[in-house]
Amino acid sequence: MTKYIPTVGIECHVQLCTKTKLFSEVDNDARLKEPNSCISPVDYALPGMLPRLNKEAVRLAVRAGKALNAEINLESRFDRKHYFYPDLPKGYQITQLFHPIIGAGYVELPNGEKVRIEHAHLEEDAGKLSHEGGASLVDLNRAGTPLIEIVSMPDMHSAETARMYVKELWRAMTYAKVTFGDLYNGNMRFDINVSIAEEGSSKLGTRTEVKNLNSFRSVEKAVEYEVKRQTKLLEKGEKVVQETRGWNDATGETTSQRSKEEAQDYRYMPEPDIPPVKLSREFVMTESQAVATLPSEHRTWMRGMVADDVTEILLDYQSLVEKLAEVEAVVSEEKKTNIIKKVANLFSSVLLAEENTSLLNDELPSKEQLINLAEMNEKSELSSTGMKEVFLKFFDPEMHYKTTREIAKELGVVQENDLSALEAIVDSVLAKPETKKAQEDYKAGQEKVLGFLVGQVMKESRGKANPSSVQEILKAKLK
Amino acid sequence: MEVNQDTIRHLADLSNFALTTEESISLVDDIKEIVNYISKLDELDTTGVAPTYQVFEMDNIWREDEILNQDATPDELLALTPTVERHQIKVPQVL
Repeated sequence: MTKYIPTVGIECHVQLCTKTKLFSEVDNDARLKEPNSCISPVDYALPGMLPRLNKEAVRLAVRAGKALNAEINLESRFDRKHYFYPDLPKGYQITQLFHPIIGAGYVELPNGEKVRIEHAHLEEDAGKLSHEGGASLVDLNRAGTPLIEIVSMPDMHSAETARMYVKELWRAMTYAKVTFGDLYNGNMRFDINVSIAEEGSSKLGTRTEVKNLNSFRSVEKAVEYEVKRQTKLLEKGEKVVQETRGWNDATGETTSQRSKEEAQDYRYMPEPDIPPVKLSREFVMTESQAVATLPSEHRTWMRGMVADDVTEILLDYQSLVEKLAEVEAVVSEEKKTNIIKKVANLFSSVLLAEENTSLLNDELPSKEQLINLAEMNEKSELSSTGMKEVFLKFFDPEMHYKTTREIAKELGVVQENDLSALEAIVDSVLAKPETKKAQEDYKAGQEKVLGFLVGQVMKESRGKANPSSVQEILKAKLK
Repeated sequence: MEVNQDTIRHLADLSNFALTTEESISLVDDIKEIVNYISKLDELDTTGVAPTYQVFEMDNIWREDEILNQDATPDELLALTPTVERHQIKVPQVL
């Protein structure tokens, strides 16, 4: 049977977290607000109204460009894209077709693959329509929200890669703090272009576009579905129709929306109301430097110290990897790997355990607390269980200002490692008549009873002895 | 540029206009005349001339990101709308 290779390109709309809209000075945050409460005469397209460009949106676009490893075009311009639809009363959308602000770049995926970015441009979002009872209701709160549209090259060849790409894009954009990144509220929306071609063919197949996906999972599922659907068509000797399809999350299927035949004639023209944007190199430099360390950069330094799967879990939480980086910056080279690994595991297996995730809203422990904690465990002063207990107390409002050692002492979990002290306890246990039989059994070759003896010593020490030291001492004494 | 009934119908569709047959016939001549007039510009040699985006020689007309009171309140704007339902603008169904 012929093998088909999928090819996927993705366009992503990112809502920028400015205070006001792209071209009017009204509130850009309409969450939980009444429909049409954040609107201005500009958004309403009253005759004679002029758009006024929000400088903050330009700043955030430059930062987004940095997060996309992209060239920033020092001169960019706006264009009108005409279409007649009530979600934008002007009859056109102001966008950047010919001179976008962000040029070519790339996003590096966890597996090292790079997805190239063709360009990204600034544009305004449209209003929201809801359809009921033979009429449509228009809410213009979202009309004019600044967006950047990030256009990838068709560099992805599986549903899984597509999912990895959108997730990494979400991380990059939220780390750069250009968006709130709230997918549920549509802060990032994805359009996917999917085609399939016979393996080895140099020509791409006919593509379909699935619009308005708003989760990583739906991107993955929609690519999967389209690849299956298109493969079936080609296997039956039919053709794929170039068209826009909608995604139904409930059924997990795409359905035809409109075909490109009756297509879109947007009559693009330069936007005469907004003069060109000319950026100085200093402006671009200042904004680029304001961008925090990116997820791919964190991944690079964590490699070799933290297991890859733990790294990928932690990378979803910028505050955690940044705390880890703080620790990394101050611990000495020889201790680094051990300490980082321990702290990373505490974050991933304790803090991110379901019952503890609410602690994420609290202030994280200081780097000193974390380093001391890892070191006490390293020196066997704390068992793994003790380390976890102390770690959780870092989030206790009564405890969080205390040092690691103070908390460990208060909890009574500091292990006894003083060998002479341990030996004394071991001796007292061996002197007890009830351990005589076990001692004889052990000497006779029953190594299993050692556990019983260790347990007795632990009990005698009230849990503070280091079990592996106790074991060593017992073995030596019972030779 | 060829202007015929199809061109007019296409333009009317894009603009969401309903035209009578008479109107679309008479518009063919009108639009032809307009296009011919504008086509005069084709006589100019623009090789190597950058497209004109604007004629004011301005750049970076931008503002700070601050919420300001507008000349009309949301309610005043909504009042301009013929039909409002639950604070939304009601229009014939579009999909």
